[in-house]
Amino acid sequence: MAAADSLPSAGLPFDGLKVVDFSWVVVGPSIAKHFADHGATAVRVETPAPMDTLRVAMPFKDGAPGPNRSHFFGEFNTSKYGVTLDLKTQAGVDVAHRLLAWADVFIEAFTPGTVDRLGIGYEKARSLNPSIIMVSTCLMGQTGPLAGLGGFGYHAASMAGFYEVTGWRDLPPDGPWLAYTDTIAPHFLSAAVMAALDHRRRTGQGQRIDASQLEIALHFLSPQTLDSRVNGRTVTRDGNRSPTAAPQGAYPCLGDDRWCCIAVENDDQWQGLRQAMDDPAWARNERFLTTEGRLSHHDEIDRNLSLWTSDKDERQVMELLQAKRVPAGVVQRSSDLLRDPQLAHRGFFRNLEHTEIGSVPYSGPQYRIQGYDSGPRFAAPAMGQHNEYVLKELLGMSDDEIADAVVGGALG
Amino acid sequence: MLSPYTVLDLTDDRGELAAMILGDLGADVIKVEPPQGSTSRRMAPFLPHGPELERSLHYFAFNRNKRGITLDLSGDAGRRALLRLTERSDFVIESARPREMSGLGLGFEGLRRANSRIVYVAITPFGQDGPYADLASSDLTVAAMAGPMSVQGDPGRAPVRVSAPQVWLHAGAEAAVGALTAHARMLCTGEAQFVDVSAQTVMVWTTLNAAAAYAIQGHDFNRSGPFSQTRGVTLQIVYDCADGYVTFMPDAKTLETVVRWCVEDGLAPESWLEDEDWMSYTLNHLHGKPVTHPLEEVMVPINRYVLTRTKNQLLEMAISEGISIAPVYTVEELTRFRQLEERGYWLTAPLPGERQVQAPGLFARMSETPMQVRCWPPRLGEHNADVLGGMLGYSPAEIEAACGRAGEASNGRGG
Repeated sequence: MAAADSLPSAGLPFDGLKVVDFSWVVVGPSIAKHFADHGATAVRVETPAPMDTLRVAMPFKDGAPGPNRSHFFGEFNTSKYGVTLDLKTQAGVDVAHRLLAWADVFIEAFTPGTVDRLGIGYEKARSLNPSIIMVSTCLMGQTGPLAGLGGFGYHAASMAGFYEVTGWRDLPPDGPWLAYTDTIAPHFLSAAVMAALDHRRRTGQGQRIDASQLEIALHFLSPQTLDSRVNGRTVTRDGNRSPTAAPQGAYPCLGDDRWCCIAVENDDQWQGLRQAMDDPAWARNERFLTTEGRLSHHDEIDRNLSLWTSDKDERQVMELLQAKRVPAGVVQRSSDLLRDPQLAHRGFFRNLEHTEIGSVPYSGPQYRIQGYDSGPRFAAPAMGQHNEYVLKELLGMSDDEIADAVVGGALG
Repeated sequence: MLSPYTVLDLTDDRGELAAMILGDLGADVIKVEPPQGSTSRRMAPFLPHGPELERSLHYFAFNRNKRGITLDLSGDAGRRALLRLTERSDFVIESARPREMSGLGLGFEGLRRANSRIVYVAITPFGQDGPYADLASSDLTVAAMAGPMSVQGDPGRAPVRVSAPQVWLHAGAEAAVGALTAHARMLCTGEAQFVDVSAQTVMVWTTLNAAAAYAIQGHDFNRSGPFSQTRGVTLQIVYDCADGYVTFMPDAKTLETVVRWCVEDGLAPESWLEDEDWMSYTLNHLHGKPVTHPLEEVMVPINRYVLTRTKNQLLEMAISEGISIAPVYTVEELTRFRQLEERGYWLTAPLPGERQVQAPGLFARMSETPMQVRCWPPRLGEHNADVLGGMLGYSPAEIEAACGRAGEASNGRGG
């Protein structure tokens, strides 16, 4: 089959690599997607109940919910084949074992201990496939008194310190958008799996990777953690301000909820901002000539600067400031990103054909490698879309074996 | 794991995490700084005392597992030394402005002549070319242009970034992914690779489900403060508790349990236990099915209940019930969080001036090839003799010519 391929795997760096993704939500699926988009044959294993949370999360095509209509699921499961397995049946576990014997990389994100109870733990996987690389990702790691704490990325973001530092001092924390730590862990874990694969290529040795999303995410607040330990300072949320540069913020522009961000990081940029505004009287204040002065009069500067921006289009503000080499950027929403000329130049969004929601845009790679076009190669699977393909073509099961598996309830 | 490989890290504060990740994974990383030091050495927060260029905790956070040298790339001797090092390296990572390195003869084309299998990774705000490639930028403006700010913050106020800078950390971490992906490709093709990392596109992915949302559902997501809007119903995520805040999604088993707690404390009538199927209560909203108690009514006793418990009490209760409630911790509280202590996460690191600090630990546990911190961040030019003498056989005079005098020279990042 593989008829859905819009970009063949041949020539991509992970062509021939086999990944089985028993995980869900964002972190595990992101790692599998990384390899799949770059050529690996990846099988996403799902259970119909409980369904992957992303399948019931917005955005849905045309606003109509449905397990195969969520683009949240779609974005994080491109280039994968989808199979449903009921791991509460022996027949389902038997198919899982075939997948473990088949795979080079095995990804799971269950609560610690669950894979052993299901009969697909590391010891079992290694007995079936001695050089397998297994990644276990969860909030707190496989060990420790709180290993059993389940939850999503917003829980980890809350515990890792990111809620405390996102929002306004006089309001409860707003927190970053959704499951923020889920956007951090995949960088580190995709790198770790590639390093483990390179080690295996040279030595034949596989291994298990125990990853705590909390422990990974703390690196993104590392200077602040060190500051707390060394200087006793505890960072908190402060809108868009910086402790070391001013003015800095999102300033209101013409239209409904339109904003341009401005970040003056040194005295030269302050002079640039003054020139861009035609040096109004308020800006000639000598107290504003130094960073210290601007930091201590930030409110006053913001009031005046907001008046200057508020009767201008946000693109006009950005262009006026950029002409003077002042960092400025408009706050873009999805509708802006979809027509952003820089993203278009990089071919970032690309349409893929999905069995149920048709041709819609998908986000592209975070980096480009010169001379080759990575994925996403084809749209995410509908629930159980590749059951037959996976069992027959990838696992090489005979028609009789497949019939027995189905009768045994393997596919749920 | 990556011990056979050598990485030349030419990045400044806009990419230093990339090579640190490769170093944690075992690569031999040589950090190459201009004689006046990386920009990150001048970034807050600082140690209270110490030599000017050795006091930055920002620098300290992202430069472990690296040896450090200085090279004066404005001079022939420095450029020649970089080419010689490139011959013996597998990866080069830089975060200069587009065309800046090629202007020195040290761009991809220049380095691949020195090493036909080099993996060259360039980190920039928007990519190497295109209409925005030369924009002046900062953490804030890239976060704005990439989308996450549009959905972060209170709806009645301006959009917000994460107050601690995140953009160059995401870009750096993903550059490590790009480096290893390109290395895998180099193994297939035998040819040098160029990886063009755009911080903007990296940050677009931090919007998770929001990037293409407009094309899917016909409207953008909006800022909703401490509420979630992904389930088709607006759900409160952040709650005031007795000593700060906690987060949870009032959904499924968590909702069922918290409603039971409310009943046990007399904050909600006993009948509530039977009035609803709390397991599917929020899904019923998504599917437009009727409920007995509207969401606003349900949230009143829940908010009152949470106010009577501390964040750690609620965490312990959640664990014993098998549900998910998370404290909103500060970085200070995290230094005392027992899960991290008992996993031995923190590592004792020597700071300049005989001090020690507990620093963030290794990012994963590998069963067969454990990661380790082999060295802590280098002083400026600490390994000039070690690297240039040891690897290239340079004499002391040649080393000085190539490295320049530490603390001097001038070619910082402009614009």
